Amino acid sequence: MIEEVRRLAKEWLESRKVDAIVGLRKNNGHVAPYLFTGTSELDSLVISSHTGDIIPKYSMFNKSQRYKKNILYLLEQKYPKTKIGVIARGCDEKTLIELAKRNQLDLERIAILAVACTKEDAINCRCPTPYPTRIDVGKRVEGVSSDINVEALLKKNLEQRFSFWKHELGKCIKCYGCRNVCPACYCEDCAMENDLWTKMGELPPDIPMFHLIRWYHVADRCIECGECEKACPVDIPLLTIFKLLRRDIKELFDYEAGLDTKQEAPLLTTLDETPLKE
Amino acid sequence: MVSLGDREVKNDGHDLEPIIVAFCCNWCAYASADLAGVSRIQYPPNVRIIRVMCSGELSPLVVVKALVQGAGGVLVLGCHIGDCHYQKGNHLAKKRMTVLKRLLDHLGIDPRRVRIDWVSASEGDKFAQIATEFTEEIKKLGPSSLEAKSS
Repeated sequence: MIEEVRRLAKEWLESRKVDAIVGLRKNNGHVAPYLFTGTSELDSLVISSHTGDIIPKYSMFNKSQRYKKNILYLLEQKYPKTKIGVIARGCDEKTLIELAKRNQLDLERIAILAVACTKEDAINCRCPTPYPTRIDVGKRVEGVSSDINVEALLKKNLEQRFSFWKHELGKCIKCYGCRNVCPACYCEDCAMENDLWTKMGELPPDIPMFHLIRWYHVADRCIECGECEKACPVDIPLLTIFKLLRRDIKELFDYEAGLDTKQEAPLLTTLDETPLKE
Repeated sequence: MVSLGDREVKNDGHDLEPIIVAFCCNWCAYASADLAGVSRIQYPPNVRIIRVMCSGELSPLVVVKALVQGAGGVLVLGCHIGDCHYQKGNHLAKKRMTVLKRLLDHLGIDPRRVRIDWVSASEGDKFAQIATEFTEEIKKLGPSSLEAKSS
């Protein structure tokens, strides 16, 4: 599959359909986003895969610490007349749509090279939709519909749930990895770094305040990519809560993040525009 | 952040006196609380009123912070839908609190500890009624799991 992606990327670059392609590059064993401008480098292009052990430490949607904006936005700003290709899986495409909806990048200037994930990857990511809306490379496979962790949490009563989370969140070492890797987190001033909500630099973190800040913030933007859970060094089952939140948002507002740029985020509209179903 | 002060009666399981934080919007709910006072309608002293300009101003994080700092329950009171002084503040508040309640439920905090309701400036009796009902409910629920953690 990766050969096919490389071939298509080469074709796009040669035909000047795009001026450059953002993808992952494996260099000396490390995987990181890279701007491919020439066809000669395309041999080192890889696709993120949990099964193939190609796990990037950061993605193209991470904010740069210095400019507080994601890489694609910075590229668009720096090269105003170029068309940028992006190699995107299902979750990456959802992210692009969600960020475009919230004015974090301009989707008009991005050409998506859409890649469908394999069944193994989908199972590894516990992904319900491992395919983009339009597929360039790969075959559409159905994702995982039910999640063991979610079912297990729903079976617990309130007390058990709280002690479960107390245990899980108590492990947190406040590395801020979940926030840094989250494609939906784009605030320039993060509430998780605000002493009003949670004391900086103190361990263990305030339960549940520290985590709840991000949980609530991304409630209607989370695209269920699971990057936070993969990034977590102490294995807090974060994807569980986001799967539940996404289900709730679907139930309450009949809205799913990352599907359509025209759909407005339900938490920003009035009850008449996006009715609440309880 | 407003400190909730010392609890009046220590929690020994029997005569639990929870603290209820009521965030009242300046235009309707606070005026109704005022009216309840002026009309000498009784409502439980557990309720501590905090005036905010609009229910839509309230971040859900403030509600959680109140619960974390020892409030037994949080009331969010605003104008009736359609009567918001800022057009759509209470629409936003309603949506936010609904999502927050779901989130609290998954987290293991009883979502009944948060209640959002509407009272207009002329409804002093309704304010007192909501305050009484809610206090009774919180008393029945007992101390929250968040409090059990701190002791």
